[in-house]
Amino acid sequence: MNMEYLCVALLLVYVAYTVRLISILPFFRSYTNGSDVLESEPIERKGPLHVFLFLGSGGHTGEMLRLVDNYKEMLLAKGNTVYVGYSDDKSRSQFIRQVTIENRACRFEYYQFKKAREVNAGLLTSLASVLQTIIKSLAIIFKVSRAMRGKPRLVLLNGPGTCCVIAAWFKVIEWLDLFQPCSNIVYVESLARITSLSLTGRILYWIADLFIVQWEELCLTHPRARYYGLLV
Amino acid sequence: MILAMAVKTVFVTCGATVPFPQLIHVVLGKALLERLSDAGFRRVIVQYGKGYEAEFRKRLNALECVPAKCSLADSTLGITATGLCCGFYAPGALEVIGLEYSTRVQDIVGLAGLVISHAGTGSILDSLRSGKPLIVCVNDKLMDNHQQQIADKFKQKGYVWACKPCESEVSECLSRSQSETLIRFPQAYSARFENDLKRLAFS
Repeated sequence: MNMEYLCVALLLVYVAYTVRLISILPFFRSYTNGSDVLESEPIERKGPLHVFLFLGSGGHTGEMLRLVDNYKEMLLAKGNTVYVGYSDDKSRSQFIRQVTIENRACRFEYYQFKKAREVNAGLLTSLASVLQTIIKSLAIIFKVSRAMRGKPRLVLLNGPGTCCVIAAWFKVIEWLDLFQPCSNIVYVESLARITSLSLTGRILYWIADLFIVQWEELCLTHPRARYYGLLV
Repeated sequence: MILAMAVKTVFVTCGATVPFPQLIHVVLGKALLERLSDAGFRRVIVQYGKGYEAEFRKRLNALECVPAKCSLADSTLGITATGLCCGFYAPGALEVIGLEYSTRVQDIVGLAGLVISHAGTGSILDSLRSGKPLIVCVNDKLMDNHQQQIADKFKQKGYVWACKPCESEVSECLSRSQSETLIRFPQAYSARFENDLKRLAFS
């Protein structure tokens, strides 16, 4: 008798988490492409925005800085909190030089992530460092997602590999905590990708809540991708 | 400063990280320097990239440049401690300035009347966002990168002139840059995108 209750309970939990998984993954959500009516209506700002963004180094950092600058009226509005993830100090100081010192009305917090993979590392060291990245980034993402919970929020990612780990943790937290609201992950594919997605792009295509490409051709092969012209 | 602006300048960038010897070779070739001088340029600034300083100096020496004090202040060029070299190329009185890496590329682009760049998106955006005419040169020695695709795409859209790193092609682009105008690069702001971001964040 007790056994039966246990089975039913387990089954219910299983069903709940399966349904939850389906509901948080954007792929199973219906999506509208381009011409909905709502587009013409401006959306009201409801309180300060919490933005997490990741500086991927080199070209990724460059594009992210341009993106933030182009949409600073929204992203860096007075009272916003910006959680800046980075993996190399050069990107961090570039961000401070170009964004932080000119936007004193926002609060900035910095979080260093270990690079998922160093170039030329051996297989074992690679594996070990990927594992380390995965574990260490959980602590950061857990903290950030708690801080953003219940507030207007966005997660902005544009590559490289570490972004997969970051996005996955945001979604895992959403999945396991049934009451955690959507993380609002936005992925912007690099300007350099014209005919095919990057590896990070191919993975985040399944995870990001808003998946953006900067060349229209990619929409043909990736129907969930949205195109707004060049954004950087 | 007004004086500095008035000097017709071409900025050549190989990107900050990977050297692009073929482009340097073309730009510091006598033929191209003469073409530049004929087109009225009086200053060439080259960002040659990490680890290429010795080679760059060697090329300057080979041109028999007269060593000179750079006409631009360090603060303008935003150079790192190493890598600044400067000389005058005698026949055309063309000032040649080389630097390894600049933290103020945007300012240098601002001085330039023409930019010749490798096909990295960062450098392309630096020029086009400043509204500068741009010749893109593809580093075909790089394996597995998207430089060719990017150059083709931007050329097809009419935003840049694109070429391979050889004297004849760069020269041809140079003369086109003196007679043609490029298609204006579209701005990066999309109200539709901002609205979708807001909808995601605030609803």
